[in-house]
Amino acid sequence: MMENAWLIPLFPLISFLLLLVVGKQLKERSAYVGMLLTFASFVGSLFVLNERLTMPTYKAEYVWLTIGTMKLTAGFEVSALNALMLLIVSLVSFLVHMYSKGYMHGDERFPVFYAYLGLFTFAMLGLVLSPNLLQTYIFWELVGLGSFLLIGFYFYKEEAKAAAKKAFIMTRIGDVGLLIGMILLFWQVGSFEYDEIFTAVANGDVSSSLLTLSAILIFVGAIGKSGQFPLHTWLPDAMEGPTPVSALIHAATMVAAGVYLVAALFPLYEASETAMMTVAIVGGFTAIFAASIGLVQKDIKRILAYSTVSQLGYMMLALGSAGYVAGVFHLMTHAFFKALLFLAAGSVIHAVHTQNIEEMGGLWRKMQLTAPLFLIGTLAISGFPLFSGFFSKDEILIAAWNHGHVGLFILAVIAAFFTAFYMFRLFFLVFTGEARLDAHHVHESPSVMTIPMMVLGVLAIGSGYVQTPWFGAFLGEWLTEGTHWHAHEEGPSWIMIVATMVSLLGIFVAWLMYGKKALARDWLSSRFPLLYNVLFNKYYVDEFYGSTVVYATKAVSILCQYIDRFLVEGMANLIAATASGIGRLGARLQNGQVQMYGTVTIIGLALLVVIFAVTGGYL
Amino acid sequence: MNEPYFLSLLIFSPLLGILALSLIPKEQEKTIKMIGVLATLPSLLLALFAFVKHLNGYDLSQLTERREWIHFGKFSFLNETNFTIGYELHIDGLALVMILLTTLLATFAALASTSITKEWKGYFMLFLLLEIGMLGVFAASNLVLFFIFFEITLIPMFFLIGKWGYFEKEKAAYSYLVYNGLGSAILLIVIAVLLARTGTSNVAEIHRIFTDPVAQMQMVSPISEQLRYGLFIALLIAFGVKLPIVPLHRWMLRVHVQAPPAVVMLHSGVLLKIGAFGLIRFALGLFPGQFQQLSTLIVILGVVNLLYGAFLAFVQNDFKMVLAYSSVSHMGIVLIGLGSLNEAGVQGAIFQAVSHGFISAFLFFLVGVLYERVQTTSLDRLGGLAKVMPLTAGFFLAGAMASLGLPGTSGFISEFMAFLGLFKVNPVIAAVGTLGIIMTAVYLLRAVLNMTYGPAKQNDRVSDLRGMEFIPAISLFALIVLIGIYPNVLAAPLQTTIETIMNGLGG
Repeated sequence: MMENAWLIPLFPLISFLLLLVVGKQLKERSAYVGMLLTFASFVGSLFVLNERLTMPTYKAEYVWLTIGTMKLTAGFEVSALNALMLLIVSLVSFLVHMYSKGYMHGDERFPVFYAYLGLFTFAMLGLVLSPNLLQTYIFWELVGLGSFLLIGFYFYKEEAKAAAKKAFIMTRIGDVGLLIGMILLFWQVGSFEYDEIFTAVANGDVSSSLLTLSAILIFVGAIGKSGQFPLHTWLPDAMEGPTPVSALIHAATMVAAGVYLVAALFPLYEASETAMMTVAIVGGFTAIFAASIGLVQKDIKRILAYSTVSQLGYMMLALGSAGYVAGVFHLMTHAFFKALLFLAAGSVIHAVHTQNIEEMGGLWRKMQLTAPLFLIGTLAISGFPLFSGFFSKDEILIAAWNHGHVGLFILAVIAAFFTAFYMFRLFFLVFTGEARLDAHHVHESPSVMTIPMMVLGVLAIGSGYVQTPWFGAFLGEWLTEGTHWHAHEEGPSWIMIVATMVSLLGIFVAWLMYGKKALARDWLSSRFPLLYNVLFNKYYVDEFYGSTVVYATKAVSILCQYIDRFLVEGMANLIAATASGIGRLGARLQNGQVQMYGTVTIIGLALLVVIFAVTGGYL
Repeated sequence: MNEPYFLSLLIFSPLLGILALSLIPKEQEKTIKMIGVLATLPSLLLALFAFVKHLNGYDLSQLTERREWIHFGKFSFLNETNFTIGYELHIDGLALVMILLTTLLATFAALASTSITKEWKGYFMLFLLLEIGMLGVFAASNLVLFFIFFEITLIPMFFLIGKWGYFEKEKAAYSYLVYNGLGSAILLIVIAVLLARTGTSNVAEIHRIFTDPVAQMQMVSPISEQLRYGLFIALLIAFGVKLPIVPLHRWMLRVHVQAPPAVVMLHSGVLLKIGAFGLIRFALGLFPGQFQQLSTLIVILGVVNLLYGAFLAFVQNDFKMVLAYSSVSHMGIVLIGLGSLNEAGVQGAIFQAVSHGFISAFLFFLVGVLYERVQTTSLDRLGGLAKVMPLTAGFFLAGAMASLGLPGTSGFISEFMAFLGLFKVNPVIAAVGTLGIIMTAVYLLRAVLNMTYGPAKQNDRVSDLRGMEFIPAISLFALIVLIGIYPNVLAAPLQTTIETIMNGLGG
């Protein structure tokens, strides 16, 4: 099956093309086309994963582009990491396809939505099969296209238009970093192939400064895609897209591509201490930075978006601390529980038609499936013991501690507290207390939406058990087979206790404030209004960009406009004026007087003689 | 298989159409339009035929034509062939690719010309004459013949702009004529000097004389190093007007805005590429040493083009102006690639010429469709087209994506190779240039999303793409994607050309 793995991305591509052509006729039956074809991808991924468990990596390549004596190739590679990603992507995509059938019901552009989902899934599956950097870059941009189209799905809304544009441009800034990094690496190694890059790095063929530079530049691409500081601002805005899209693209798969890229290039990063340090610091900082913003937001999807940014920061921190397994493990568990949270949030929005959590409340009794499923997701992300997030976050904390990043370790612990707090703040406000809405028409979502949530609910609990300190590090051993990386981080046992305490503390404080209401809700805003405003306005990063980068771009453009209109055009006019001036002078010379003609003749002859004398007859 | 008439047939087959048109009364709109489109087909089929055969290993040198044409006196005491000008046609992979581009775009532009509202007869006769000129430029292997074809493109273009254009068409036409006329004059001086000094105007022969030390001794009169620089810079200016290189670009803005969209498809799609072709064939082909010496300057000019065009495109309020500056910006990539002087860069430059030809023809075709329906291309007055014209809006977005170099389209391949080449020789300038990659996304998304997204500003009765309009739209986009996902279809025929250029550089 592994030699046929290239078929897996093709199914959703067929779905995309088919729906583009006949979607209009199929109307809402398009959902079945999309579901069927992504299910085929999922089944294929299962077979591939199963085969890869026992067999070595499979790789196939063909010449794609000839440049003189250079031959660039394209192909596919089924490594352990790739096989795992295939399964995560195809599964979440299939579940989202199913869920959307209920969520998007009645939308005028229903088939277009499914077509775009197919395009995105194709690109994402293609990305995780790429055997070289160039192909990765190609699919990397194509997932960006899918994301752009789906964020702007409600194209008639100004906000959606702005968000789509912002997402595309912000990620492209990162992509340029990736492009430069990979080209620099290419001229050092002579190839885009991962294998050859790693061999060259291992042999020391790449100078250490260039290695660090290209690793960091490639990481800039990951920063853009994974919404890391300072290119994170597009991700919360991307919530303008339909909620299933947020679950698939902006939580589970595409935004994790940055983490995947660093993991796929791990031998490169490992070779440069500076690059590793950069990854760890950016990740650790983003984790706490985004979590602190999440504390005070009011839009259910934006809170989840900031939590995604923060969790992706955790993964980066893990990779930067040499915790390869920890990073990939958290990528997997996060994909499940965050997709669950988004789908459950979508179910809530579907029922109450608002995203403001202050307008919600008391939904526990109204939505008896969504509410417990949301709770599962919340417990998992908070690192509550025995849920999947508990195990993966633990691995990350241990990796950070073991690698000697004490400062980052403390930041990560605080971020864990924040996470537990804001997630339970969200939970209590939405599901407990009194209904703040006219709630008699609030109803549970149809089963086509709840079934995918249940599947994710099971995974949000269970997926942590592939890598636990008690039952063995199955995932880690498989991922690190044939490498010297740790299959499991051995760390002091107090870390697990601290992590648990912190998580419980966060839940407890949230309960005091929003459940029991023993603590005033405006505790922060009344006591520290300045701090509250800074957090509520997301540290004013958008405003900062608006008044610097955007402003400067406009200023330069307008300056160029003036140069073009006056300087360049003026020069052309000057030349034209000179020409006509000479013409007029010439006309005046031809005044019919022989004396004048004679003078001109003699002067001209003299000039010619001088020129010939100087140049010797040759130019 | 020797085909001594193949190239002549290919170049002059539009003449058939001109003859046929001259016999048709000028009121018969339908017949004229039909003949106009049909007359572009023979050369298209011949070009396709040659292209497919070449892909399967056919040697293009068998198509070479050589006929005696003009004699200047008798110089047999020096060399039998001295000071004769031959009617000489010869194509290599590069020329074949450009010819195929020309014939394809000519057919699509002819289809798009059905929206021309007056004097169809004159329009199509000039249109076909323009095609002859363009095809001849790419096939001529003699400088004088090249120059004649080069001039043939000038005249029909002048009338096409001046007569069938928009409000300021006369100004645009004169601006076109003055700039390009000056460019031609400079080119003519170069050709005259080369003919006088080497005694021949055959490109291959001049190349041989320049490179072969023995032949250099036999030259009618030797060319000093300074004169070579002079000639090289003159060529750079002559083709720099066409390309255009900033600050020689003002004329083409007016043409982009004022000429009818079908003509702009050819102008932006093919005529600008004559600049690129000329730079490769003559500036780089005949003066590799000078090119090498000044390559950094050329790269800098390229980056200036790229960034200057991009920043200006960002603040335009007319979509046609956005596309005009976008062309300036994209031609910067051609210069960047050429200035890199390595395989990746030069191939990237050629790819960019072809890719931009298709993409800008595609976008201008859509502009024509749009203008016919809503009578405006002003960004302030357009909005929400995705609601009323979903297919057109979708194609606009697709075109913008191709233009900003999204992988999977030809725009990516060319941009990627050009930068790949430049990063090898000058990473610092290249890094500055990558700012252009971001800016391209910024200005294209701004413009296209302003038109297609947001609340609808047009009424619902505007019709979407229909009937024959699908042929150019879908074919052009398919070609863009084909090159994007299977670039070797274009790269394979170019390999010998690139090898020749690299050999010329002594690399």
